[in-house]
Amino acid sequence: MVNVVQADSSRGDRLSAARAALKGVEERLSTTRLAWDAPTLPLAECLALALPEGLRRGQVVAVTGSTSLMFALAGEASRAGSWTAVIGMPHAGVVAAAGRGVDLTRLALIPHPGIHAAAVVASCVDGMDVVLLGSRLAMSDADRRRIAARAREGGSALIVTGPWPGAHAVLDVKEMHWDGPGAGDGRLRGREMTVAIQGRSRGSVRTVTLAMDVDPQGRGLSRRAVPPDGVATAGVGDAPARPAKGAA
Amino acid sequence: MNIAPAHSVVRRAVLWVPDWPVVAAMAAAGMGGDAPAAVLHGRGLMAVSAAARAAGVRRGMRKRQAQRVCPELVILPHDEGRDAREFEAVAAAAERVVSGVEISRPGLLMIPANGATRFHGSEEALAEALVTGVADDAAYESCVGMADGLLAAIVAARGSALVPAGSSCDFLAPYGVGALALAAMERVQRVAVEDLVSVLVRLGLGTLGEFTALPLGDVIARFGPVGAWAHRIARGEDVSPPVLRRSEDDIAVEYVFEEPAQRVEQLALVAGFVAEQLDAALLASGVRCGRVRITARTEKGDVLERVWRTDVGVRAGAFARHMADRVRWQLEGWLSGTSTGPEPAPLVALGLTAEDVVLLGSEQAYLWGGVSGADARAHRAVERVQGLLGVEGVLSVREQGGRSPRDRVQALPWGQEGQEPRSLGHPWPGRIPDPAPATVLATSEPLAVLDAGGRSVVVDRRLGISAPPTWVRRQADPRDGRARAAHRHPSSGHVGGAEGPIWEAARPVEAWAGPWPVSERWWAEDGSRRAYVQIAMREGDGESGLAVLAAFTSGGWVLEAVYD
Repeated sequence: MVNVVQADSSRGDRLSAARAALKGVEERLSTTRLAWDAPTLPLAECLALALPEGLRRGQVVAVTGSTSLMFALAGEASRAGSWTAVIGMPHAGVVAAAGRGVDLTRLALIPHPGIHAAAVVASCVDGMDVVLLGSRLAMSDADRRRIAARAREGGSALIVTGPWPGAHAVLDVKEMHWDGPGAGDGRLRGREMTVAIQGRSRGSVRTVTLAMDVDPQGRGLSRRAVPPDGVATAGVGDAPARPAKGAA
Repeated sequence: MNIAPAHSVVRRAVLWVPDWPVVAAMAAAGMGGDAPAAVLHGRGLMAVSAAARAAGVRRGMRKRQAQRVCPELVILPHDEGRDAREFEAVAAAAERVVSGVEISRPGLLMIPANGATRFHGSEEALAEALVTGVADDAAYESCVGMADGLLAAIVAARGSALVPAGSSCDFLAPYGVGALALAAMERVQRVAVEDLVSVLVRLGLGTLGEFTALPLGDVIARFGPVGAWAHRIARGEDVSPPVLRRSEDDIAVEYVFEEPAQRVEQLALVAGFVAEQLDAALLASGVRCGRVRITARTEKGDVLERVWRTDVGVRAGAFARHMADRVRWQLEGWLSGTSTGPEPAPLVALGLTAEDVVLLGSEQAYLWGGVSGADARAHRAVERVQGLLGVEGVLSVREQGGRSPRDRVQALPWGQEGQEPRSLGHPWPGRIPDPAPATVLATSEPLAVLDAGGRSVVVDRRLGISAPPTWVRRQADPRDGRARAAHRHPSSGHVGGAEGPIWEAARPVEAWAGPWPVSERWWAEDGSRRAYVQIAMREGDGESGLAVLAAFTSGGWVLEAVYD
């Protein structure tokens, strides 16, 4: 089973051969699964900037400051056939969720889990593909760790409100700018959000601007001139390009 | 492209009662059959009795026009429920002659003719038996026609004709294309067909014969599915096999308590027993059911009733336990007073009725295998949660028509059947425009909308706004210590007092839109009159620029929803 390596080959060659052999064994026995092999759920086009690696099964995404963003994260997966549970969010706007692609026939709403929160979330994590959690759930940090482990095992994606210890990605909405209303005229039409994104695997904080609602009549965000390279990025490297268009 | 007629044609008899809406209305009003009468629907007459027609009244006339032609005309109101109810008697009378009739619409019965013709000897004898049966048992005059295919049979019934087998196409050929509308059973379909007919007439195609002479491919290319349907119907073919009137009765099981029972444990035992009995009864008659109605009667005479869907395909052995859980949850919620219903009282009887009964083996699973694995997994998860939290703990939601964001959602306990949601298709003038808010408060909470001077903004009767809103204060979480302390501080204006709502710090308004008036159900007790305003708040100071939907009602502002 061991590759025979010729003695005169360089050190790098031998190292890569050894790695290939090890990888072959791992794959055959499926002992480990590499992190980037985890299956992803489909994600709306406008969020590709926020989560370039996609919404992975088994991941925890913590969102602060926007319920719309949570629905947008869940929407495309639900449209593609996933089941969604919304736990502990008694004020969830279902029409908005439907507008972002969540299929209401595959949506279970559990507004008040009460003292059974941990058990309810655990059973939903086992059975549903995407689980949205509200902020006021009666769960200890130990419960949260257990649930994250179950999600990793069962392959469902958790999208939670507020802080979550050990979240894979933290999306914090810093600014929200609305387009449409004036002084008593117009109506809310389009919005863009500035979101600070912190990943567990990447140290720095990135800031991206997402066009969340785009007015179907094409009256774009015109009032505020945005420099072409988006907003200032706190992190190094990946300066985000503004999305050409978002999914409303 | 030609479809062989032999596959798709059923020999049919059609029993037609002329002017059914007006005949039914006259019978319900206790009038004689020879009085001039008409049924008014919307702005025009939709059916006219024979006497009125003789006096010159026509379908589609306005009320005033008709009364001018025939002053003694009796105008009757339109009522679809009455039409269908009265027609049950006709269907029952026809069913005494031939079993398995199909009600196409009130006034029109479709009858499979093959077997019955053999039994009665000839088609003439069958038609005679049908007309006599309906006249004797239901006391209505009717016409019977027989032909191959739906349209030919309907047209034949209007002339009491018996069209020989295989000649439907020739029989239909001389009729005008307007006859196509006769085969349209639903209103929407009829509108589409009438559009098609008007186009055909303008194209110079007057008769069905000319229409069917066109190649099917061209008709589909020009007119789409409606054209294809009309082409097949006009050739004397069928589009779908006849649907028989359901003859399986609902299966009911009832347990009558010897002594009225109120303890949940006792009821749970009975629930299991009754569910097993129902399962056995279903199995004995070789059927399965799509829905189960649970009925509990109290000693006060109140009835608590709920309908539950059951998964037809997968519940083989687990049915009894599954239903017992449903019964237990329903009764627990009701006896503990958490769910709505009549006043809790000891029960005297508990019944289960299986509805939507289908023969074993005739239920349809998904096209590719049974219920998919993910669906079954999700259903199991929901059931576990329902076991933990009770039946009201998990909600399924549907979008429905409405004006405010809260009204646009119908939430029901998971698996329970409720009333039909309000139609999305209706116009809802005054509906709050999209995008929809992502946070909709279950009950609206007070809000302070202040002008630049700190006074509350007021919207008057004529939708004049007293001053542009400049500051917005939301109600603080009562557990928020800092807000409570700020509230106690003399600068907040409440010296030492803890009464009144505790407000968050005021936030500046960036932009606002409105007010939009909505006055709903002003004739009823639960009517509401409010003016909606969308307010976008300024960003900065660690606050993102939220937008809220606020409403001014009965002198104060309430927060309805947050666009977060």
